[in-house]
Amino acid sequence: MSTETGGWRIGVDVGGTFTDLVACDPCGAIHAVKVPSVPDDPAVGVLDAVERMAGAAGMDLGALLRKCSVFVHGSTVATNAVLEGKGAKVGLVVTDGFRDSLEIRRGIRDNPWDHRTPYPSVMVPRYLRRPVKERIDRRGRAVTPLDHADVEAAADFFSREGVESIAVCLFNSFAEGAHERAVADLLRAKGLDRWITLSSEVAPVAGEYERGSTAVVNAYVAPRAIPYLAVLARRLRELGLRSPLLLVQSNGGVLGIDQIRDRPAVLVLSGPAAGVGALDLYRPAIGADDLVLMEIGGTSCDVTLMAGGEVALTDSLEIGGYHLSIPSVEIHTVGAGGGTVSGVDPGGLLFAGPRGAGARPGPACYGLGGEEPTVTDAQLVLGRLAPGLQAGGTVKLDLERARDAVRRRVAEPLGLDLDSAAAGIVRLVEQHLLHAVERVSLQRGYDPRRFVLVAAGGAGPIHGVSVGRLLGCRRVYIPRLAGAFCALGMLHADVRHDVGKAVRTPLAEDAVAALDDSFRELERTVTRRLAETGFSGERTRLDRILDLRYAGQQTSIPVPCVGGVDAIRSAFEARHARQYGHIQPDGGIEATAMRVFGVGKMEPLNLARVPAAESLPQPRIVRQVYLEEIRGRADTPIFDARNLGGGHRIAGPAIVEAETTTLFIGPGDVLSVDGAGNFSVELGEAKRVG
Amino acid sequence: MSVDPVTIALVQNRLDHIARQMGWVMLRTSKSPIFSQSHDFSCFIADGKGQLLSQADGILIHTGGGGFAVRALLKAFDGRIREGDVFLSSDPYAAGGNHLPDWVIFRPVFVRGACVAFVCNRAHQSDIGGGAAGTYNAAATDIFQEGIRLPPLKLVDGGEVRDDLWQLLLLNSRTPHLLDGDLRAMVGSTKIGAQRVAALVEEIGAEAANTAFDAVLDHAERRMRQALRGLPPGTYRGAERTDNDCFESKDIWIRVAITIGDGEATVDFTGSDPQMKGFKNSTFVNTHAAVYVAFGSFFEPSIPKNEGTYRCLRFVLPEGSIVNPRPPAPQTMSTVLPSHEIIHACWVALGQADAARSCAGWGKITHASIAGKDEQDRTFVMYHWGALPAAGAVAGRDGFNQTGHLNTLGHLMIPNAEAYEQLYPVRFVRQEFRRDGGGAGEFRGGTGIDYEVEVEASAEYSFRGEGARNPTGYGIGGGKEGAVGIMTVAEQGENSFEPPQFGIAHLGPARFAVASPGGGGWGDPLTRDPSRVLRDVRDDVVSVDAARALYGVVLNADGLAVDAAATAAERAARGRTA
Repeated sequence: MSTETGGWRIGVDVGGTFTDLVACDPCGAIHAVKVPSVPDDPAVGVLDAVERMAGAAGMDLGALLRKCSVFVHGSTVATNAVLEGKGAKVGLVVTDGFRDSLEIRRGIRDNPWDHRTPYPSVMVPRYLRRPVKERIDRRGRAVTPLDHADVEAAADFFSREGVESIAVCLFNSFAEGAHERAVADLLRAKGLDRWITLSSEVAPVAGEYERGSTAVVNAYVAPRAIPYLAVLARRLRELGLRSPLLLVQSNGGVLGIDQIRDRPAVLVLSGPAAGVGALDLYRPAIGADDLVLMEIGGTSCDVTLMAGGEVALTDSLEIGGYHLSIPSVEIHTVGAGGGTVSGVDPGGLLFAGPRGAGARPGPACYGLGGEEPTVTDAQLVLGRLAPGLQAGGTVKLDLERARDAVRRRVAEPLGLDLDSAAAGIVRLVEQHLLHAVERVSLQRGYDPRRFVLVAAGGAGPIHGVSVGRLLGCRRVYIPRLAGAFCALGMLHADVRHDVGKAVRTPLAEDAVAALDDSFRELERTVTRRLAETGFSGERTRLDRILDLRYAGQQTSIPVPCVGGVDAIRSAFEARHARQYGHIQPDGGIEATAMRVFGVGKMEPLNLARVPAAESLPQPRIVRQVYLEEIRGRADTPIFDARNLGGGHRIAGPAIVEAETTTLFIGPGDVLSVDGAGNFSVELGEAKRVG
Repeated sequence: MSVDPVTIALVQNRLDHIARQMGWVMLRTSKSPIFSQSHDFSCFIADGKGQLLSQADGILIHTGGGGFAVRALLKAFDGRIREGDVFLSSDPYAAGGNHLPDWVIFRPVFVRGACVAFVCNRAHQSDIGGGAAGTYNAAATDIFQEGIRLPPLKLVDGGEVRDDLWQLLLLNSRTPHLLDGDLRAMVGSTKIGAQRVAALVEEIGAEAANTAFDAVLDHAERRMRQALRGLPPGTYRGAERTDNDCFESKDIWIRVAITIGDGEATVDFTGSDPQMKGFKNSTFVNTHAAVYVAFGSFFEPSIPKNEGTYRCLRFVLPEGSIVNPRPPAPQTMSTVLPSHEIIHACWVALGQADAARSCAGWGKITHASIAGKDEQDRTFVMYHWGALPAAGAVAGRDGFNQTGHLNTLGHLMIPNAEAYEQLYPVRFVRQEFRRDGGGAGEFRGGTGIDYEVEVEASAEYSFRGEGARNPTGYGIGGGKEGAVGIMTVAEQGENSFEPPQFGIAHLGPARFAVASPGGGGWGDPLTRDPSRVLRDVRDDVVSVDAARALYGVVLNADGLAVDAAATAAERAARGRTA
């Protein structure tokens, strides 16, 4: 395998409707292709997209694949299996007495007032959760031997029931996985050798609910995800691909199929996590290490915070009401996007979201039967979006339908004129976006005003400047390819492999020294897996991490295990102070987990530069656009992004229409185009309620 | 002055957001696990008249109760509230408090010299003195045994902390180091709240802000009135009892008559029993808050929760009764018990007005907290949350098999047993669903939990066996009640015994076991979808016998399928006899 430089880089993202391909050619130019997805065999859609790309580049499929140095697949196959309830029939082996933690779910419900909505159905019904007698104590000692007959009985039961995949979660197995491994051996001996997930391997964390739930989700998606990916990898290889098929993990890094075969659960946050790679890609051009990303699509907005060049990882991930404990990029999602529905509630109050209109019927202006006004309809009414064919001819925006929906559902019930109603919808949704960004930053102890707001996603750039102003930011950065932001991130993502294990040890010199052997063992595992993906030596970086807390606390903070105990202690205290506002000068500190984060550094992606500006920017047309600052319409120049060159500066108000997005700046703002054709907006002064 | 409707929506969201922001600051800066882990605090915002505008952050049983405390403060310090002041109070009899351990920090918000709002933080302190460590003194027979009582006090005077007062507070707590840090965090959270509210008011102007605040309250009021208009006018009665006064077994009743008028309701507790000897008396404010939870949970969850929501409710609370005791009745348990009974009584009454929304009863707590020394001779206090009871069913959903307290509609993270084994000298034996514990119904009550733990150290046990003598999860609309709780303890080498419902025992290493109470069923069990009964039998949470006897469902001999013909015959036969 190789990941040689200088070739094509291809990223393919399979969505429910479309399969998107983004490619970077050896000169750094970006190309995009969109083909219909083939839900029954997603690999067909992937190959269609590659073939289309090859054709556009004047090559055949094999030639393009042979010239491809990086091929990344952002697959939603695991995500969709969970969200659509289409995973495998799973059996679960548990310690006798602890059959139900998966269904008790620690009692977690998001909205306590809503007690009438049932939980999502449990992934493994109780009758398929089989108890076995055994016991590991809290320190990892086997105090009751594993009852082999119980395991064999469970195996027979699973066979009769036609179980496809088995998860094993024994009590205290985070401290010692020997019994789980013995269960796996016994199951294999009974012929159940296809899909077995051990909780001590996939999520070695204390806490039977989260560890077991992770193992179950893994078992649930494995038979759907792995065979598909293996077949795709083989077909690509047969067709000429020489680099490994890489997959985006929830931690934002990529890894080869062979390295995730045992733990496909790491794919569930595959899509939005790729935004981290994109932030890294644009970081040099932005010239700042403190960034907050607002990626807005049709129905939701994902907010990701990068502080000092690092994106925080969390161990707790929720998808569709199911909980996983795997390292994931910390992303806060709110129901606010272009398709967010607005209206007036029974008490006469304007609302926007969190519900979205989805792809069908979509916004009223799509003319697909939607009657409720969405944010897209409001922007169209306000003149910020252009009526007619958009997004490369894939949708047609009907201004009259948008006006009609806003008038009937918002303006008339509230006694407002049409523009005020539409502007109200936009202000309200922008307030939700503001609150989402404030939440992510303030909860972690950061002041968002110091950050550069990066507005991406198809619907991001139209809101970015307004939200940045409400936040108090001074600068907003908008990539020209905002609509393909995460796909681009895939091309730039580093290979990443994180491993860890639970420990319980005080932060003291001898105790930390005693962890050295375990760290070395974790490092050997990571090094091997990085090598299998084509990375070794100088192109890799290994970081030792300790999860630390004051004795008695229930949540830990990951801290680099660098230097002596004093250095580690100060690093912990600095993080604790930022997160919690205080430290305990005399508090005992203990480690709850040790980890090794392994990174294989991808060659930087060098995007092609756009020609420097040679003349003043010329608007395509001038349109009457509603401006919040004057509460009315004013002539606003509309620019075509293709006519803007490096060094161009535009004073707001103005609109820039690009291939996949529309950018809107207000009076007092100044937009400048950088050498790669991306937009940086210096915000002017203006105040409004938000 | 009129304010445009868009501004009203923006102001409502903004206030909710500010309340949450205060909560994040509190979470980030407080020291006690009760805040950072259990979130037992609520940040809220009231207008200048003391009407609660937003409590987006916080716990349900605090909802709506905060305004009483602000109004008590306004009364006590009328005309003497200045910029830079911060106030404190707690007493349920003298200061609009809900129960004594919940202290409230108030900070007035001044814009151009006028007080436009109050930002507040109500938080359960780790210790406030009194007869038992940790604020819950189950042996208390008056409030003086429960801790220090705080009338409205000026804690910060024009920006200067009153150090003498601060020291007085610390001196009255067993955990002064925690109290010191937590009070600072509470004060700090109101500081950011005040800045943000002031900024909002300055942006739109004080007059517009006042109008918008009123509009926010009016909107919530309209939503609740609309909900009440959906109910047929009339008087609906509900009653619920506790079967002990913490000292002896006796029935003490809470009786409510809810009279629905045109978009309004009178909630009349006339006929409820006199205040009790033990600490389960519900103070005036707590009773309001519990009724708010009952109404808030009965209707659409999207109805906002502020003081406007409940303007259309009129309360009749007989003085000296369990729902409005006279001082010095003890009251610390009130937020949990009898809040549970108050919510149940209101649910029963409301369920008669709208059977489709009726709610079956939730099991009552039946567990213990234990305190002792671990292997390293460190003091530990452990709550047996793993023995929490089950929820009742509603139309369309079976009861949760295990859930947190009813006063927060279950909003409590049940701990992992493995985590507890790391923290405390205990070894878990079992935490599994009960068989036939859930009340039968078209929708089945939650099963409750079979819970068993070896406590390896000697410990002081404080029992809370409210659900250990009688079934507590009532059934509704033909649904059956959930199973009664069972609580037993066996010291090493000794026979097991059933401890008192409330009380304290000092025991050596012991096995503590609970079968926690089941939730009530909703609707006639004979109409339950037979495939759901089959699943319950396969899951071993309903026995084959109960499937036939209670649900009229007959399974094939192998137990893997419903015998449709036999089930139809069985159900038809019952239909004739029923």
